[in-house]
Amino acid sequence: MTTTEVDPRQAATPAGARRRRRGRGATRAHPALLLFPLPALAIYVVFFAIPTVQAVQYAVTDWDGFSATFSNVGADNFRRIFTADDLFANALLNNVKFMLVVVVFQTAFALLLAVLLVKNSRGSILLRALFFFPTILSSVSVAFIWKFIYDPNFGLGNRVLDGVGLDVQLAYLGEASTAIYWVALTQVWFHAGQMMVIFVAGLQAVPAELYEAAELDGAGRWAQFRHITWPMIAPATAIVVAYTTIQSFKAFDLILGLGGNPPKFSLDILSTRIYTSFANSEFGYAAAESLVFMAVIAAIVVAQRRVLRLTQKDV
Amino acid sequence: MQNRQINRRNLLQLLGLTGLAATAACAGPGSTGGGQGGGAAEPIPSGPIEGEISFAHWRAEDQQVFEQLIAAFVAQHSGVSITQDIAPSNDYQSTALQRVRGGAVGDVFTAFRGAQFVDMVKAGIFSDLTGLPVVDRYSAALIEPGASDGKQYGLPYQLVFNMPVSNLDALEAAGVSEPPADWDGFLAMCEALRGAGFVPIAWPGGEPGNAGHLFNSMVMNNAPSPDMCTKLETGEYSCTDDWFLKTLDQYAQLRPYVQPNATGTAVEPAQQLFASGQAALLATGSFHIAAVRALGAQFPVGLLSPITTSAGEARYEGIHNATFILGVNTASDVRPAALAFIEFLSDPVNAAVYANGTGQHLTVSGVAYDNPDLAATAGWLERRTLLAPRFQFTDLDIRNAVENACTQVIGGTDPRQAAEDAQRVVDQRIG
Repeated sequence: MTTTEVDPRQAATPAGARRRRRGRGATRAHPALLLFPLPALAIYVVFFAIPTVQAVQYAVTDWDGFSATFSNVGADNFRRIFTADDLFANALLNNVKFMLVVVVFQTAFALLLAVLLVKNSRGSILLRALFFFPTILSSVSVAFIWKFIYDPNFGLGNRVLDGVGLDVQLAYLGEASTAIYWVALTQVWFHAGQMMVIFVAGLQAVPAELYEAAELDGAGRWAQFRHITWPMIAPATAIVVAYTTIQSFKAFDLILGLGGNPPKFSLDILSTRIYTSFANSEFGYAAAESLVFMAVIAAIVVAQRRVLRLTQKDV
Repeated sequence: MQNRQINRRNLLQLLGLTGLAATAACAGPGSTGGGQGGGAAEPIPSGPIEGEISFAHWRAEDQQVFEQLIAAFVAQHSGVSITQDIAPSNDYQSTALQRVRGGAVGDVFTAFRGAQFVDMVKAGIFSDLTGLPVVDRYSAALIEPGASDGKQYGLPYQLVFNMPVSNLDALEAAGVSEPPADWDGFLAMCEALRGAGFVPIAWPGGEPGNAGHLFNSMVMNNAPSPDMCTKLETGEYSCTDDWFLKTLDQYAQLRPYVQPNATGTAVEPAQQLFASGQAALLATGSFHIAAVRALGAQFPVGLLSPITTSAGEARYEGIHNATFILGVNTASDVRPAALAFIEFLSDPVNAAVYANGTGQHLTVSGVAYDNPDLAATAGWLERRTLLAPRFQFTDLDIRNAVENACTQVIGGTDPRQAAEDAQRVVDQRIG
């Protein structure tokens, strides 16, 4: 709690009293102003808060999604998730692999593009638009395009390998151990341009004087990046990493578009697993999975922010 | 001053939380509307044939033919309009129950045989059609998948053969004049086809939904009983049983005869391989014949199921499925009109328009099949076919685990390992 100390001598004067009255009047909200947040609050409550609370309520039941009756099962759904559900563990593992690849490569690629295209020249603007273009496509269209790139029989991927003389033909999404990484590649292609724009905004906000001073001090390009750019784009990096992480956990439509519904176990991630549980008439269990899903994302984002705060201190 | 502001915020938060808790307390499992629950479906009342009918289904490829039939129906009943509400089949499988149970869409709706039909009956969405004259228009034996507890809730409309489609020209070129009667014969046929330059089997192993059709043929004669999938799900049978291991071993024997990297092939490229004459068999079903014709296939087609046993041990020659189960929604406020539309579709003349226009056999009696592909495969209506066992599964995860074992084996996994992996999932699911 904060308090404001007022000089008693000043407070005793009529001018001080006027200032105090003016200040008090400026901070007091007119009661009618309280009505303004109501529409937003109502939307938030109806579309976010209530479903979230309902999810908690469903998560301790065995409700199938349509019956009028259900039983309260306490923490059984959560116990099953953590101890007796290989499919959930498999989806979580797939999702972590997917997230790691996407977060690392998408962030690095987006930052590289942003550094190369930060100047507002015509060429840079054109290239930025080009790299941003995939973002405006629907994920279903993206999945459709890449599904045919990855097709082992007629797809562009194997044609290219063949064209450059490599005597290898890949199964892509059909190879269980690597399928999720091919989806991650698609995700990077899909969203790197979007993240590049955030980085460009962050880079353009870095004062040019800092670089001039560093040059005078004899700092090279790498030293400038490490000691000026990287710390100064900390807010942009935090946004990009957090957003990319959340995107990675919610790449539902891309997975279904590429892998079908329900996807193979090798392509199953948490969001598709939850969807399959809903489709399997296990609403209570799916709600419990959803809560674990939220907790996992929250934990990872918090951990990432701490790591970024450490690495982006002015070193 | 500062304290007063904080108190006001606290008050607002408290009000918000109270409202949230009150609302959440009102909402909960079972509080949402729609459906009668527990299958307590009332008979359809008589009434005027009028109103706006929503027809929910998954057959986007049949949209034009349905529009043609709808126009004819509307011409007979001026107070009626019908809108098709079409979702892709996989989405329909996942979401139809929730979408139609309130009655906002799907006055007339369809259901897949198996888990979806069972759940929809449980949710009380199907009106009871037992004893209505429309039921008599169907072949009684073929509409059993639309019945439950002695009541006819739905009318399976389509009769499909979930077994490989064959290119008869390719078989002839490879010197195959008769369908193989046993497993050795099937492998010999595949070898001959490969020798003649064909991919013996185009199999969409990249899509679980379509890859699983081959599973029907592979287990139909291997399993000890025709309800093998029900028994796998109840724990009476196991994926590590000899019959299932034998099936997986046979999947392993098919590795050289499917297209390269088959586990990554989606259904459209598999259809393309077949339609272009590169592949001799398309391991999905008769429901894809129209699609391969649309891709330009000119050759005569047939149906050919692998017989996985000796000729003497084989009980079934192929697989059929009765699906696209038509129903009248209990939550609909235009049920008389909805029933009238189903009666219209069940008329043999109108059914023939649908059958010949879409290349589907139907369960309606007395339909004249003019479509050459339907005529060529009509002989299968009289043959020993098993009702597709994969739809006995009511748990999607168990079905996926069992069928995934087959896909893994084609991809190179050891059959025993694949069986154990699948059984672990099954064990966890059945507790």
